Amino acid sequence: MKKLDNILIIGIGNNTRQDDGLGWAFLDNLVEQGYNEDNLLYKYQLMVEDAELIAEYNTVIFVDAYKKELENGFIFEEIEPAKQVSFSTHAVPPNQILNLCETIYNKTPKAYVLKIEGITWEIEIKLSEQASNNLEKSLNYFNQIIIPQTCNN
Amino acid sequence: MSKRKIVIEPVTRVEGHGKVTIKMDENGKVDDAFLHIVEFRGFEKFIQGHPYWEAPVLVQRLCGICPVSHHIAAAKAIDQLVGVDPENLSPTATKLRKLLHYGQVFQSHSLHFFYLASPDILFGINAPAEKRNIVAVAAHNQELAKKGILMRKFGQEIIKALAGKKIHGILAVPGGVHKTFTAEEREYFLDGKQIPNVDTMIEWSKEIIDFMKNYHTENAEWIDNFAKYDSNHLGLVDKETGALELYDGRLRSVDATGNELLNISDIEYGYHFKEAVEPWSYLKFPYMTKYGRENGWNRVGPLARMNTCSHINTPLAETERQIFKAYTQNKPNNMTMHTHWARLIEMLHCAELMKELLLDNEIMGNDLVREGTPRNKGIGIIEAPRGTLIHEYHTDDKGLITKCNLIVSTTHNNEAMNRGVRAVAQEVLNDKPEITEPMLNQVEMAIRAYDPCLSCATHALGEMPLIVKIEDANGNLIDEKTR
Repeated sequence: MKKLDNILIIGIGNNTRQDDGLGWAFLDNLVEQGYNEDNLLYKYQLMVEDAELIAEYNTVIFVDAYKKELENGFIFEEIEPAKQVSFSTHAVPPNQILNLCETIYNKTPKAYVLKIEGITWEIEIKLSEQASNNLEKSLNYFNQIIIPQTCNN
Repeated sequence: MSKRKIVIEPVTRVEGHGKVTIKMDENGKVDDAFLHIVEFRGFEKFIQGHPYWEAPVLVQRLCGICPVSHHIAAAKAIDQLVGVDPENLSPTATKLRKLLHYGQVFQSHSLHFFYLASPDILFGINAPAEKRNIVAVAAHNQELAKKGILMRKFGQEIIKALAGKKIHGILAVPGGVHKTFTAEEREYFLDGKQIPNVDTMIEWSKEIIDFMKNYHTENAEWIDNFAKYDSNHLGLVDKETGALELYDGRLRSVDATGNELLNISDIEYGYHFKEAVEPWSYLKFPYMTKYGRENGWNRVGPLARMNTCSHINTPLAETERQIFKAYTQNKPNNMTMHTHWARLIEMLHCAELMKELLLDNEIMGNDLVREGTPRNKGIGIIEAPRGTLIHEYHTDDKGLITKCNLIVSTTHNNEAMNRGVRAVAQEVLNDKPEITEPMLNQVEMAIRAYDPCLSCATHALGEMPLIVKIEDANGNLIDEKTR
């Protein structure tokens, strides 16, 4: 089994809405690769209580579908705790979860967002072809670049 | 001054998407105001043709916040399709379903109070928008925020232990449940080693009620009068005693002064209710047939339940209910903001009920599923966190669903929320030379008190700003603010 010591990977989405399932598909692939499932979390959406969860980890990676065009089909970015606020439990952004983690638990894990470009969002359990390609590219990047980097930090 | 129209879209700190339109006349007075529900789900239609046993799994996809409620209401209906009435379910199955349900109500009420409502209460209605959120609550009162998170977590862990996962899990099957509870699972909620235990949940629930009572004492004039209006109230009550009942009971409605309007077996609901439609909303307007569209609508949810029940059958919550009722001399309470207070009493009730069930060895039994003679119609009614939830299914002889009717809690409250919006808009906007953001927040608060679940299921990063548009009577944009 491949270990993800002290790294939490949160896949956000809904696999019944086509490419909105990219975050989960990313995790499915990591499971197939043999990563330990304890550190992989499937979420429809982020919620305030996720601040408590991420406080237990050194590093957290949020993986989600992205509606806008991305040059390579995906982008991996480091994020900081945000001071901006969200007004709905349906749309708490990752940087706000970090903010809450810092505010409530006095902890700031290193955090990244992996955005993967999606194309179609209808009611169907199937990624579009382009989203599948973007997923594959992001997985290659994850295995070749992200894991060596984050595990060394 | 010219006529103008104010649009609040989306309404904030509620579950799902809605918008408010306020029409102002030439004299700066509110002409009319509406809450529009702009989502369309279509579950009643596309479930047709599916086998009946899929219903409890499929319909819970209506929502990411209250899927458990839909799961249980659908399961109660499906039980009848396999010929099993609520009283014929095995004691273990009934108790496990109830435990799941109480966990759901507990976590949902926690979410609403701590994440959605507390900013208004802690910082006041005139606080700047950037302060009215859970982050500011956390910065202001770290311990309160921690308790809020852990209370919601407790309810969600109950759900996960029973249904396999926190959202869209499965416990109920036709005629029962598919799993029992293990001693190890039970200990997780009792020993307090990994998460605060159920006794702590009871203690914290009492604390937060005290907090609310103190807040009420200090702000009584505002809390008592904000968005106050008379209405009927609807809720399930225990079949024998009339006590507050969340899982299975009789449907009871009382008017604003306490006269009983309805007291029926839940499966009779179809004879007593109709649903009206309006062109500006996807949400229907249910009403009691006998009293008509204008006078037959009800409020549902925590406030309505306090008004329809005779008592609460757990001691600590009953003590709090008596204090709550004494404030209105045991008459129905029509003060909208008291819904928050009532919601906290129900949290305490659910914590007590969860403790009772966790200490009951029958939850670890193995008599899980019962069978009966199949029927072609099933009706399941429960009290979901937001109020009375009705599921009805008809099947053909192959067991395929031919008809489905869902009346969700927020639908019952549609008329009430619209009246609240209108009342508050008139109260705070009439004759005001400038419409400020805190004024518009007050309009939202009238809706927020009901914790409406407008539900949505797909999310992506960086979406959904709040946009307030002010247009003249011809639809020309005068001003626009985004937050």
